[in-house]
Amino acid sequence: MRILIATVRVPFVYGGAEVHAVGLRQALVEAGHQAEIVAIPFKGYPPERILDQMLACRLLDLRETAGTPVDRLIGLKFPAYLIPHPRKVIWMIHQHRQAYDLWQHPLGDLHTYANGADVRMAIHAADAKLLPRSRGLFTVSRNIALRLRTYCGLNATPLYHPPRDAGRFYTRPAEDFLYFPSRINPLKRQYLVLEALARTRSQVRICFSGPAEPGLERQCAELARKGGVANRVRWLGAVSEEEKLDLYARSLGVLFPPLDEDYGYITLEAMLAQKPVITCTDSGGPLEFVVHRATGIVAEPTQESLASAMDDLWNDRERARQWGDAGRQRYSDLRIDWGNVIENLLQ
Amino acid sequence: MKILIATSGVPFIRGDAEILAEGLREAFSKAGHEAELVVIPFQPYAPDRIPDQILACRLLDLTETCGVRIDRVIGLTFPAYLIPHPNKVIWLLHQHRAAYELWDQPAADSLMHYPDGFVIREAIRQADRELIPEARAVYAPSQSVAERLRRYSGITSEPLYHPPANASLFHQGPAGDYFFCPGPVNSANRQWLATQAIAQCREPVRIRFAGEPGRLTGQARSADKLKGSDRIEWLGMLSEDQKRDLYANCLGVIFSPGDEDYGYVTLEAMLSAKPVIATADSGGPLEFILAERTGLVARPTPESLAEAMDTLWADRRRAAAVGEAGRAHYQDLHISWANVVEKLL
Repeated sequence: MRILIATVRVPFVYGGAEVHAVGLRQALVEAGHQAEIVAIPFKGYPPERILDQMLACRLLDLRETAGTPVDRLIGLKFPAYLIPHPRKVIWMIHQHRQAYDLWQHPLGDLHTYANGADVRMAIHAADAKLLPRSRGLFTVSRNIALRLRTYCGLNATPLYHPPRDAGRFYTRPAEDFLYFPSRINPLKRQYLVLEALARTRSQVRICFSGPAEPGLERQCAELARKGGVANRVRWLGAVSEEEKLDLYARSLGVLFPPLDEDYGYITLEAMLAQKPVITCTDSGGPLEFVVHRATGIVAEPTQESLASAMDDLWNDRERARQWGDAGRQRYSDLRIDWGNVIENLLQ
Repeated sequence: MKILIATSGVPFIRGDAEILAEGLREAFSKAGHEAELVVIPFQPYAPDRIPDQILACRLLDLTETCGVRIDRVIGLTFPAYLIPHPNKVIWLLHQHRAAYELWDQPAADSLMHYPDGFVIREAIRQADRELIPEARAVYAPSQSVAERLRRYSGITSEPLYHPPANASLFHQGPAGDYFFCPGPVNSANRQWLATQAIAQCREPVRIRFAGEPGRLTGQARSADKLKGSDRIEWLGMLSEDQKRDLYANCLGVIFSPGDEDYGYVTLEAMLSAKPVIATADSGGPLEFILAERTGLVARPTPESLAEAMDTLWADRRRAAAVGEAGRAHYQDLHISWANVVEKLL
């Protein structure tokens, strides 16, 4: 099949969504299809410009290229998923969250504009009218599907996809550290884990890896020093893929307690490395994968609860190993593979 | 500077414009700028949708990204060069040619034979006429495109030449016993002129063609069979290395397209210090060939082309001297990405 992937591109900003589109394209090509990405530039402010860009997407023509039909259009992000096509399926990464769950939320600002409410209504109307016209409606996670049902009354099926290089993960016997791989960022809540560490009863040790946003690494180190746990944490900064795989493999367990993550590759990577995951009740995406006290621990987002979860893993290595094995099994049971994604998107 | 290069693309088809856009992006990066491509999908075979696609481009907003200003937009192809920006420079690779010089030509995207074709043509022409001048400056890839822009849209632009891909890898070798005829085999490149010409040559001229004869017209193929077929070689798909070696070791290069916009072949021949044979109606190549000094310009007939080929075949010292002069002329023209970057910014 000749397949186009329609997504949105914020110039000069790279993120999970780009990786996602590239991963899908590669999987389609490996499955013998011709696939390309169409990325529409997007700027979400001032609000009236959003309407212009929605219209621009409606005006584009991807039915065929140079006389040959495009067999399928896969829409990923707003407003690119509005591009019309007779054989379109949507695999939604994002609606425009500011018009939905981030409306009147500190992380959104659409509601602060005089015309914000009108623009929000227009976005709701376009989604409500145009999303059901696609042949299939899928989301990248249950979290996104739930939002779609809550706000638009639409039913969508979650389709899970593997992290990059899923085949390269492996496991090794657990050593004396928990691993927290993530960009150092307030939403990932490294700070909460450091505060919790000061409250553990055992001598839990943690390795952090990932690039830090400006100033944050120093703040975190300061926090560790104040809590008297500086000698129990290591800051590795940005690590290579090989180092990351090795850290996953040798860890006792993985810490991933972000705030309302859409999906979260880290949970899946931990499962692939056969390690239990500690996450929180408000972490969003990870909760779809972590089964409390079967493949990891779902703690309250508090210092006490996280501290006790870390102590639990630290003090019962055999159980930690069993939970890790169960996580790997669950990964297989969930059929998290590109083959399954493609089969659903192209059926 | 943060720079966006706006161009149009037909998905699944990698055109010259995209290759050039990537070359330009690389040149900006080398000069220490941040540059990215914005590729707007364009569907030229549905003429009634072209006005929509013009409007879509007008509705996009490339002024900022996450609160950070985009310092410059470089517009390359229709309709992406119509995206508005306060600091836009257009380097107009091509307009929508079906609305201009190809209006009445038989082609898959022909407008003349399309219902409402005239109205669509006028919409395209009007958008170009009124919106191209919004740019701070307008450049054309060649004199030939600049001339067309002036003739059809009344817009003045300056030609701005750029080097072919991997210009530094072209080299010169000893002249062998063949002319090289590179470029995809198609009607625009008129390989049939050369296959017919060879039958008229007095000298035992040999030609090596890049590509397969499959797309030649019947007439040209029968000429090929009739006479001189042992003197013609079809090389099929060539790697870039093979292509450069064929340039390096040929006696001269034959390049006789009809009204080419630019023509990398001419420049590649010059970089390999080989004489070029073009025709008087070839367009772009004529901007680089100094007739009789860096190449020969024949009339677009097999007879005239045969005469030019005989001339070089019979006087190899002259062929070598003309080739050397071509390489010197390339240097004089300052064809470099550094120059392009400087002009566009």
